[in-house]
Amino acid sequence: MITTHVNPLLAGPVAVLVLAGGAYLTAVTAAIIRPGIGIGTAWRQPLQRVAVLLVQRPTTTERPDGALWWFAPAAYLGTAALALTVIPLGTGVAIADVRTGIVVFGVAEVFAIVALHLQAWGPNSILPLMAGTRYLAVMLSYELVSMFVLIAAALPAESLAIGDIVASQADLWNVIRQPLGLPLFAVVAWGITTWGPLDLARSPDTAGGIVAEASGRNRLVWEWGRHALMFVFAAMSAAVFLGGWHGPFLPGWVWLCLKTLCVLWALLWGADRLPRLSTERAVVITWTLLLPLGFVDLAAAGVEALP
Amino acid sequence: MTGVWVGIAFWIFAVAALWFGWRVFVTDSMVRASYALLASFVNVGAIMVLLLAEYVGVALLFMMTVEMVVMALFMIMFMMNSAGLNPMQMVHQHRWSIAGGMAMAGGFGIALTLPSWPDRPIPTAVGTIRALGLELLGGSMLVFESVGATLLATMLAAVVLSSSRGRYTADAHEGSIPPPLDPDEPDSWAHAEPDEDDDGDAHAGHGGHADHGEHADDEEHADHGEDAEHGEHG
Repeated sequence: MITTHVNPLLAGPVAVLVLAGGAYLTAVTAAIIRPGIGIGTAWRQPLQRVAVLLVQRPTTTERPDGALWWFAPAAYLGTAALALTVIPLGTGVAIADVRTGIVVFGVAEVFAIVALHLQAWGPNSILPLMAGTRYLAVMLSYELVSMFVLIAAALPAESLAIGDIVASQADLWNVIRQPLGLPLFAVVAWGITTWGPLDLARSPDTAGGIVAEASGRNRLVWEWGRHALMFVFAAMSAAVFLGGWHGPFLPGWVWLCLKTLCVLWALLWGADRLPRLSTERAVVITWTLLLPLGFVDLAAAGVEALP
Repeated sequence: MTGVWVGIAFWIFAVAALWFGWRVFVTDSMVRASYALLASFVNVGAIMVLLLAEYVGVALLFMMTVEMVVMALFMIMFMMNSAGLNPMQMVHQHRWSIAGGMAMAGGFGIALTLPSWPDRPIPTAVGTIRALGLELLGGSMLVFESVGATLLATMLAAVVLSSSRGRYTADAHEGSIPPPLDPDEPDSWAHAEPDEDDDGDAHAGHGGHADHGEHADDEEHADHGEDAEHGEHG
């Protein structure tokens, strides 16, 4: 149960702090995981990239859809903020504990997809458009998996509020009760953040895809949003599948941080080690393997929840 | 105090919903039109949350977003001028559609504002939702749900039957027949083959055949077969 809310006046600064710190942690972790880069270099690599993008002179294209291209990175970062509002930040603490937390998180996921499409459409350039269109076609198949595993996690709690879902894991974490949930959710995280095996939106065969034309501050905010979304997905996994703030000895927020960092490491490690799938193979694997597994997860949770 | 803020928020969302709804019909870009419609729906969803219909409002956001993404995708695929780089008209019978739209909006407005609606909070113990479900479906609940699952299975089966395995699979188009060019003549696709080279590179016209190199022999046979068929029709 969420018993404490962040003061509404502080909610904005808290969200910006968490998103900035989370994005930085994600970038450093991703750099450490890459072979050949030690922590001595990894901690300053993201800062250098930020500095370069801040002073970089932005390039533009011929007749871009300026308004939508300008809006896309802001929307992508905004979806990370929207998702963060429903995720617990400590024992019983959240920015907004809405009764439909799971659905709000789903809305953030699909808003992120709209932002991706706008980023692909905005520059009026063929490679971003191709990559973005291909991404949308594949996305439709794994977005269903996301809803299946999240609803399955909501069933034992008999509530769509994320605080209630954490509270329902006091005795048994969902990762044990529903072992399929976390791996399937990881696939969705890779898809929405365009990371690893499902990174069909930024792949080299489209010369960088949706960000091929993005530069300067557009690119900076886009990468911030992408890294922040990855962190938010890790925090959501920790809350929904790994028992959230539950754990012995240490205070709840420490457990939340530890679990989030573990999931973050696993997500980035898997993204770095697994090959990028071709479009057809991604669609086939999603429809014939992941979607049935998601359905099994949901059906098993439903049978278990029967009185 | 909360009531004042709710009132202010309502008017902001209401004006934004109308404004974005209007933008749908004045923009030339299909992507802008799709996402302007989405922005309009987002504001309607926010109003529903204000009305304490929290689940309906948030679920509306989710469903409309996915629908508008799919719509934008189809618009880009099928519209000749999807970016709106040339001016175009979004509606047919422009004046009539304006008049019809205003009449509809006015009619709904009158129907909603003129009657004196009852203001009786329903006690939660009554079980309104259960009663409504029984009233709507009665004993047919199981049949209704089964039909839903059957329709879903039918849709999935249609997708499976009509999908091809893509250009990386050798037998991607095995057994498939291209759609006819002339709807009245089911075989009309066969007449569209290039006539000039009878034994040469005839399969240049078939877009779908993958792996020309590996199955060169099979391709030759297939082409001769089609050429013979072609001769009969011609």
